[in-house]
Amino acid sequence: MNWKLKDILMIAVCAVLFGVIFLGATYAGGILYGILAPFGLASLGYEPFYGIYFLGGAFAVYVIRKPGTGIVAEILGAIIETLLGNFFGPIIILSGFVQGFGFELVIALKKYKKFDIVTLIEASICCSVITLIYNLFISGYNKIAVPVLALMLAVRIISAILIDAFLNKSISDKLAKAGVLKGYEISKDLEENYQE
Amino acid sequence: MLKNIKAEKLNPSVKAITILIAAILIALQYITLLNIIIFVSSIMILLLFSDAKLKQLISILIPALMAAFGIFLMGLYYAKNNTGITTSLSNFANEPYAVRAALSTNFNSAVALATRLLAYSGLGIFFALTTDGEEFVASLIHQCGMSPKFAYGIIAAVNMLPQMVSENKTVKLAYKIRGIKVSFFSSRVLFTMLVNSIRASESLALAMESKGFTGNKDRTYYSITKIHWYDILFSCALLGGIILGMIFLQ
Repeated sequence: MNWKLKDILMIAVCAVLFGVIFLGATYAGGILYGILAPFGLASLGYEPFYGIYFLGGAFAVYVIRKPGTGIVAEILGAIIETLLGNFFGPIIILSGFVQGFGFELVIALKKYKKFDIVTLIEASICCSVITLIYNLFISGYNKIAVPVLALMLAVRIISAILIDAFLNKSISDKLAKAGVLKGYEISKDLEENYQE
Repeated sequence: MLKNIKAEKLNPSVKAITILIAAILIALQYITLLNIIIFVSSIMILLLFSDAKLKQLISILIPALMAAFGIFLMGLYYAKNNTGITTSLSNFANEPYAVRAALSTNFNSAVALATRLLAYSGLGIFFALTTDGEEFVASLIHQCGMSPKFAYGIIAAVNMLPQMVSENKTVKLAYKIRGIKVSFFSSRVLFTMLVNSIRASESLALAMESKGFTGNKDRTYYSITKIHWYDILFSCALLGGIILGMIFLQ
């Protein structure tokens, strides 16, 4: 798609904003990590917040509804995170790509035409599964027992559905109704429904 | 002579791409010693050949060590029991037999997982502490062919961060004054800030374009990053070292 400066700034600024808003969530992740550590499940503490990582891409593709928006938004978000000093450095750019791809895949299969809650839930599940496959390879999770991996995946899916399907849809629709997203596909869709 | 060798001089894009390839190479193996060497040498190079402050290093190292410890515990408790290698049981002589047996089969997996994460974070921290953000974005334009629209968009968004942090506080306070409870997951705060941020990004775009920003590549640049011989040397040394390690430390 032909990106306008306005679109890029909107996505980049929202990526930074999600980081700021959910900063508290990462602290909560730290606490949960401590609680779960004695059971050997410390890493599971991060899983309930995985949906936040996918939100940048999920929001962008839901609002703009054009091919590539989810992936580009996630990569932009990852570059910004790299600039702000993440301990994984440029490696998260790769993770960002996988996350954006995972979410956008379902929407692309529906040819960017269906954006109901079912599609978003499917995209959230698809994104969780693909990112876990990525973890199997990159993070070496294939050394972990299958039941534990299933538990991680289940938590990740629930988190993704709550944040990237339900929260994402409700907040984006509200923004469109408030007239903030004029000029984007989501608003055009809303106007058509209104006329009916 | 040695004082002139600085990791900050490396081209950020070359550094980033080299580290990305290194990460994929690391994912292909489970050699504990190699992972430890990568982690330790990243930190050593950082301390010897860069201007990074020790305090900065420690504050970024703590979450990395925490994540590594978490994955270590998970490996120790819940690794797949198919490695077939047992470490000497005498290491855990004081533990009950059941614990010893479980630990010995899982210990290798746990160490492999944790050291892999450390190897990644060693490289990541090396990048984070030796790279200037604006220089990285400049080199994304000049070396990776990124459109200036995206590059300056990123810089603009990053520079809005302090403003957003203070606005977050203001919005929360405004709700508190009205007696409305807000938690960090509150969609009220999220909505209010999204409205403000999207409007701000629109006026920012308008401001940039009205000052003559077209987003075309044929513009003038304050700094043009280039690739030097020492960038190639760094790339070859890091990747070559890892490949040699993968062959000889097996």
